[in-house]
Amino acid sequence: MGGVVLAIFYGSIVFCIIALIVRMVKYARAPLHLRWEFYRSSSTYELIDWWTKPHTSFWDKLKSVALDIFLLRDYFRRNRGFWYWLYTFHIGLYLLVVWHVFIFIVPVVTNVDSNSTVGLVWGHVATFLVFVGAAGILIKRLTDKELKAYYSRLHYFKWLFILVTLAGGFYAVQVYFGGNMVGVFSYVRAQLAFELEHKLNPPVVTALHVLFVSPWLIYLPLGHVMQLFFRYYHELRWDHVPNTRGSNIERKVQKLLNQTVTWSAPHIQSGKKWGEVAQGLPETPAGEDK
Amino acid sequence: MKKEIQPGDISKNPEEQLIDISAEDLIPLPFPDGREDEQPPIKPLTEDQKAAYENSLDGVSVVAIPRPATKEEEERLVESFLNGLRKLLSKENNWTFWQQLMLTLDSCVKCQTCNEACPIYVSSGNQDIYRPTFRAEVLRRIKKKYIDKGGKFLAKLNGNDIELNWTTIARLAELAYRCTICRRCATWCPLGSDNGLVTHELRKLFSQEMGISTKELHESGSVQQLKVGGSTGVSPKAFMSMVEFMEDEIEEKTGKRVKVPVDKEGADILLIHNSGEFMSWLENPEAFSIIFDAAGVDYTLSSELGGYEGTNYGLFYDDVQFSRIVVQQAKVAKKLKVKKIMLGECGHAHKALTVIADRVLTGDLNIPRESFLPLLEDLVCNGKLKLDASRNDFPVTLQDPCNIVRLMGIIEPQRRIVRKICTQFREMEPHGVDNYCCGGGSGFAIHQSMNFPDWRMNVSGRMKVKQIMEAFQDCITPEIKKYVCTPCSNCKGQMRDLFSYYEMTDKYSIFYGGLVELVVNAMVDIKEPYLAWE
Repeated sequence: MGGVVLAIFYGSIVFCIIALIVRMVKYARAPLHLRWEFYRSSSTYELIDWWTKPHTSFWDKLKSVALDIFLLRDYFRRNRGFWYWLYTFHIGLYLLVVWHVFIFIVPVVTNVDSNSTVGLVWGHVATFLVFVGAAGILIKRLTDKELKAYYSRLHYFKWLFILVTLAGGFYAVQVYFGGNMVGVFSYVRAQLAFELEHKLNPPVVTALHVLFVSPWLIYLPLGHVMQLFFRYYHELRWDHVPNTRGSNIERKVQKLLNQTVTWSAPHIQSGKKWGEVAQGLPETPAGEDK
Repeated sequence: MKKEIQPGDISKNPEEQLIDISAEDLIPLPFPDGREDEQPPIKPLTEDQKAAYENSLDGVSVVAIPRPATKEEEERLVESFLNGLRKLLSKENNWTFWQQLMLTLDSCVKCQTCNEACPIYVSSGNQDIYRPTFRAEVLRRIKKKYIDKGGKFLAKLNGNDIELNWTTIARLAELAYRCTICRRCATWCPLGSDNGLVTHELRKLFSQEMGISTKELHESGSVQQLKVGGSTGVSPKAFMSMVEFMEDEIEEKTGKRVKVPVDKEGADILLIHNSGEFMSWLENPEAFSIIFDAAGVDYTLSSELGGYEGTNYGLFYDDVQFSRIVVQQAKVAKKLKVKKIMLGECGHAHKALTVIADRVLTGDLNIPRESFLPLLEDLVCNGKLKLDASRNDFPVTLQDPCNIVRLMGIIEPQRRIVRKICTQFREMEPHGVDNYCCGGGSGFAIHQSMNFPDWRMNVSGRMKVKQIMEAFQDCITPEIKKYVCTPCSNCKGQMRDLFSYYEMTDKYSIFYGGLVELVVNAMVDIKEPYLAWE
């Protein structure tokens, strides 16, 4: 049984890492697109000879992205009722993720012979926030007419699964380890030291928790987190960056204009390059409209 | 009574209309005389029209898709749609918008936050088919079921009951013309999903793969522009006659003969107007000429094909037509050796040529392009024109064209100008980047066929009417003339129709016009008022 848990857990970690890399590379390689931005405030287009003025800096864009991610700004502005639960869930999740980093670092750099009240409270508060947020989201999704509309049945199962996973984590720390962080740190240290006996005969509680966490590691590269990478990578790299002569953007555009057009409508010369097709309407016999 | 419609319903019951639009469902308008909407607000199609064209979405037809004559033709059209969808979802065929489309299709979490942003959805009384999410969800479900691996199996698990048949495709084609691509929904989405883009991409699929679009946008629009010179059919010869007429009219109005430069090589600026201004609002390009003459601006118009038409309907429905037009326009500027191209009062021309064309024009076609607004602000606000705001002593509100404001971030110059030259300026609410579309966007303002104008007046334009009436509620009496400053040809076309339909000029003395006309009306050296209040 320990072998099965080992295979599933480490398999899910490997899958997660490989799939994240594959998806990130796929998204980063998306072709340069036409500009289609919108603006929340004044732009350089308000200035005479705007092309001689500095455009939106990378750091300004990054600041905006950070505020979006850490405050869920648009939900706060546009859908406050939903924001309360979403924000509770997300802030708890951020704290929980950092808590996991904490419980991996401490056993490596210390002797783990004293309890950490801060660590315990931090973990429990984070878990509580995620639990309350997730429960609130699930209830909203079940009862609010707008939030129910178009929501896939499978996603309801996802929220239930989150709640069970969190409950399992809480049980493991508070009941199995007796609310004592020394026990948690020792367990993690044994895992990191790859003590085979420990790994092949894990305690049932921790094995179950790990089994519940594994699907999340498989889901992570396929879920909405990667969409955020897709969005923000391109936003940070390409949005508001004008095409200037001799630039990297111009080189990419020229390459794209050299691609073949395959659209089939009569007004398009399928088989020619984009650059050629853009020169004008296809030649037609006199009197024939295209 | 309003029916609840799910995305899967788009494939069902081809003989029944999905929704009925009735006056009770529409949001009320704040007319002081308490008048009620006509019932029905949208005139039914004639029996011949119903028999000939698809109209089972909402009883309105604008794409005028003829019904297939045979089952084989139906199957061929369904296959063509699927081929088009595959191309739309491929990087090689849709490099222009692939990244944004894939993000939109994959990142929506169905929170429905964007719906309340949509003036069409809200004005209609929250009809489900006008939700920004509805259109996107239909496309998403078709993709998941018919394109993605294992789609049909997963569709059963997920309750995805959409069927790809002629009814779905025909209704989707019409539905692609129930959104003005104002992208207010996109600015509300916390995840980066852009349902306005979905409209754009759907229209593109129909046009570029199946050759289906509206006559106004294609044959009479972009094709005409590329062949004749103007989307309004204005030929180079007709344009030159108009320029002569402009010079005569300017002399008549101002007492001064102003030479309008045309085809002047080496000028600083090539000014391109929407050719609709020459046809319907000649006072607007005349006003530009008066202002530029007074300020000594070195500019020129062009009489060449592509040089006097700022319009680019390809922006709304077809990347290939879009590219052809921008290349044509840039070639004219290159030939004239101007330093920059300047767009006149046309919203989508601003966005098309300044921003989107940025990654189509390369090398010596990449000539700088900018809005007229920064220069006009400099002339007005830095004392380069002699102006008297008391000549514009009447209530004025400002229309924010979506393509200039929300989609380009040009928000303040026009406000600073209006505050400088008007004494009674008040904003519509909301305004700026949160503005509502006039309801004529994405080419709707030029669509006059069948019963689409009724839909445009009663649904897509409804919120704008409400905003204008509320902006002037403290001075609504007809004795006080009021001006909706509208620096966009397309918005003006919509305003013209709305003001006529709702009798806003006749009953409440509400007029519309451009920004430059207001500036000229404030010019001290011109004795007679420039605004004609017609």
